[in-house]
Amino acid sequence: MRHVSRRAAVVLLLAGLVLAGLLVFLIQYVFQAKSWAAFPGSPHVYRGNNLTAGTVTDRGGELLLRSDESGRSYAADETLRKATLHLLGDRYGYIPSNVLSDHAADMIGFDLVQGLYHSSSGTMQLSLSAAANTTAYQQLAGRHGCVAVYNYRTGEILCLVSAPSYDPDNMPDIEGDSSGQYDGVYVNRPVAGTYTPGSIFKLVTAAAALEQLDDLDTRTFYCGGVTEIGGKPVHCLNVHGSITFREALAKSCNVVFGQLAAELGADTINGYAAALGITQSLSFDGLRTAAGSMQADDSDPWELAWAGIGQSTDLINPVQYMTLMGAIANGGQAALPYLVAEIPGQYQAETTMLPAALSQQTADRLAELMINNVQTVYGSWNFPSVTVGAKSGTAEQDPGRLANATFAGFMQDENYPLAFVAVVEHAGSGSEVCIPIISAVLQVCIQQLAQP
Amino acid sequence: MEQLTEILASGDYAAFVGLFTGLTRYLFPLLALLILVRCARSLLAFQTEPELWAYLVSEQARLPVTHWENTIGSAGSCDIQLPDEQAARLHGVLTRYDDGSWTIAPVGSAQIQCNQQPVDRMEELHDGDLLTMGQTDLLFELLTPVEQQAARMQRTRAGRDVSPGLTLLLLTVFQVFTAMQLMMVKESAAALPIAVSFAALCGMMWGLFVLMRLIRRHAFEVETIAFFLSTIGLAVIASDDPSDLSKQVIAIAMGLVVFLFLGWALRDLNRARAVRYLAAAAGVALLAFNLLFGKEINGAKNWIYIGPFSFQPSELVKICFILAGASTMDRLVARRNLWLFIAYTGVCCGCLALMNDFGTALIFFTAFVVIALLRSGSFATIALVCAGTGLAGGLAVSFRPYALRRFASWRHVWDDALDGGYQQTRALMCLASGGLFGLGVGNGWLKYVAASDTDLVFAFVAEEWGLLVAVMMMLFVVLLAAFAARAASVSRSSFYAISACAAMSMLLVGAIFNVFGTVDYLPLTGVTFPFVSNGGSSMISAWGLLAFVKGADTRRGASFAIRDPARHRKGAAA
Repeated sequence: MRHVSRRAAVVLLLAGLVLAGLLVFLIQYVFQAKSWAAFPGSPHVYRGNNLTAGTVTDRGGELLLRSDESGRSYAADETLRKATLHLLGDRYGYIPSNVLSDHAADMIGFDLVQGLYHSSSGTMQLSLSAAANTTAYQQLAGRHGCVAVYNYRTGEILCLVSAPSYDPDNMPDIEGDSSGQYDGVYVNRPVAGTYTPGSIFKLVTAAAALEQLDDLDTRTFYCGGVTEIGGKPVHCLNVHGSITFREALAKSCNVVFGQLAAELGADTINGYAAALGITQSLSFDGLRTAAGSMQADDSDPWELAWAGIGQSTDLINPVQYMTLMGAIANGGQAALPYLVAEIPGQYQAETTMLPAALSQQTADRLAELMINNVQTVYGSWNFPSVTVGAKSGTAEQDPGRLANATFAGFMQDENYPLAFVAVVEHAGSGSEVCIPIISAVLQVCIQQLAQP
Repeated sequence: MEQLTEILASGDYAAFVGLFTGLTRYLFPLLALLILVRCARSLLAFQTEPELWAYLVSEQARLPVTHWENTIGSAGSCDIQLPDEQAARLHGVLTRYDDGSWTIAPVGSAQIQCNQQPVDRMEELHDGDLLTMGQTDLLFELLTPVEQQAARMQRTRAGRDVSPGLTLLLLTVFQVFTAMQLMMVKESAAALPIAVSFAALCGMMWGLFVLMRLIRRHAFEVETIAFFLSTIGLAVIASDDPSDLSKQVIAIAMGLVVFLFLGWALRDLNRARAVRYLAAAAGVALLAFNLLFGKEINGAKNWIYIGPFSFQPSELVKICFILAGASTMDRLVARRNLWLFIAYTGVCCGCLALMNDFGTALIFFTAFVVIALLRSGSFATIALVCAGTGLAGGLAVSFRPYALRRFASWRHVWDDALDGGYQQTRALMCLASGGLFGLGVGNGWLKYVAASDTDLVFAFVAEEWGLLVAVMMMLFVVLLAAFAARAASVSRSSFYAISACAAMSMLLVGAIFNVFGTVDYLPLTGVTFPFVSNGGSSMISAWGLLAFVKGADTRRGASFAIRDPARHRKGAAA
């Protein structure tokens, strides 16, 4: 019998497997149960696509969304509903509410001991200003595009608007619409979109030139309205004549920047685009920015020249480009944006600095040049009592349609360290179209920040 | 208390239910823990005192004979060790039979003389016979009935330290509160079926207990564990689909009948041995019948429909398989028949694979490994068989690629949460939502997911009862396994030791595949959790397998599946 009974220990081996597996599972439970309970579709806290627990407010406590067992109720004001739709999502999941999903675990009142037995509904305070978003949406005035403003020192996003939008309380017939007014309506443009930058990209070429060409400041260029690069003409919007680098950036001279790009070479341009983060994605609060693209090629100097001017196949993402503006204003390094400021008792946003994009020296030089742009070309009167640096762009897209207007820059101010970007599709000149929008939005943002 | 009087005064029924649920959430894990601890103390803390049947008296010593099957030889692993260099390491086998007769048989080429006459293959032994092995003379000395009774009384009576009646009373409280909670939470039409089925379960439990007392069996821990798990299973069904309750209660009753019948059959080792071949044939016949007439449900063709009744033959084949695999020592030492058993396993697993019931095939295979190991002790043989099986399994999967479908989302269910991983992700969401104490029995959501009361029952219990109860559910099965392994060392025959270990490993592997399939550690194979999962066939087979555990429990006055020889002889004399 002893022969057999000794071998009975094999049953204990199986029992040991059970205990080991249970132990591993319990450890996993401790670390992951919260995310399981909060996973999209989790039956006790989701109804369909929507989290059933949670209130979302703007930075001042203004209600943007309340969701509970009976469903979602949005802000009282229609424009505000439209201006925040892409952040909050709609009722049906056409536009997902990634920001809420990402923080669901902090919103549902889960704890490891009680599970969701005492589940409660959290309040999420965004860094966003309802007034700034409403203003931006109104300023876009039915045109497609986006506006974003954030604090490059802390990361707080004050304004993040995507147009076109729709009223989630009164959903239009989007499928049946043929006017084009809802083209790409489900896309959160500043985050998930990429655009041909146009001349705002000259800042990247300028950064490369400032660091790579020693004699840049002593050089004098000549713009005759057109120059030949790689056997083909590169046109400028004006005839600038004899011109310095500083003037060339302010007047956005294509001839000078085309030549500089050709001189710097594709590797340098691509390298700077990568170093400045153009081709990378940023992730925050469940949002992930689309990566831009920069594929300059030495084999075609003409294309290379246009790439340096922000045309060709160049693509940028608005929010990422906004962080680059922040880096220029802030000595080379800016904060990662965030949207969710606080979920009381559960979550508190922290400032995360992005890797330095530029050296302090280059950043300061560029910042000074961009402030010069405003002072000499765009007009300081557009931005009363604050120091603004900016660059405009007019991105040629489809022949026969108006160009995309682009505008990006920053405020260099101790109290109002804001960076901004605006893109208005098929609207014309960057400076003409975008400056009034940005000017109005910045004023609201300043008021918001000035409040205690 | 203030809260309670306030609620009662206001007549707010919903608030009262909420308060009741709030209390039972903590009461259930507490009661479960008490039951678990009491069963564990009884099942694990018992002293493995061997029974005493006879002595072999040599010049040097008086060697006790403590089993029905005893190996004799110079090796340390022998039950009766001879300090004799002339004796073979494994020299002979001394065997007792149900009728009290004894035989001696030499192993291999070893020589044994009985009363100076060489023993050829086997010789019946009588009190006072002289055995010669090697240079040692051994006098075979049977215990007189008086001595036997005295030896018996020296052993600890089962149930002496931890009263099984009190444990059962705790379980009854558990059942009453469970039924009350469910009746409050569920729709009013379900109240009567819930009350009736829980009363029936409780009645069967106490009926069995009284029956055991009448035949002077005092240990009830193994049955208590089965009833505890059955209670949880019944509550799961009440929460999910009260119309299934009557079916489950009938299945428990049938399971009890099988349990009692099988336990009774095991009392007589000759009888048990005799039905082996019958069981083996019945097992294959059932599987073949299943293959021919089976119906496919959820991709596995393991259901038989006869009129309004449906059952899974493969569950019942488990019992046949164990009967076919268990073996007595005299066969074991001859080292025969393992290849026959391997072939038999191959047929069974092959049939199951053809039915696409890979989960059950794995349970059979594990039981095979356990039986083969206990029988041969040869890791080499088993490694060879495992390798062969792995190869065959690989071939089977490559010929039947759709069998792989259920493995498709394994280990990354969250990436496929709405399709292939739907069941497991919902299970984990609900499990986490329940926390340690659950959302309240009857308040779960997982019931809306397919197979939640069978394949996902661990998460179902975790959501409603809390993770503590779900984990204890596992610990109860582990406790049974630990007991079976311990009891095997004092069981009368290797037949009982092997069958108890094999039955337990089947129950354990079922629990392993069920629970770890639910939490995505293993593929979800649709295996049931013993006693808890909704399913008549699996309930009956679980009770049947439990009878084998009772067959190995030789604690004094413990098991109805063990005949008390002293009492038996007295009865025979009268």
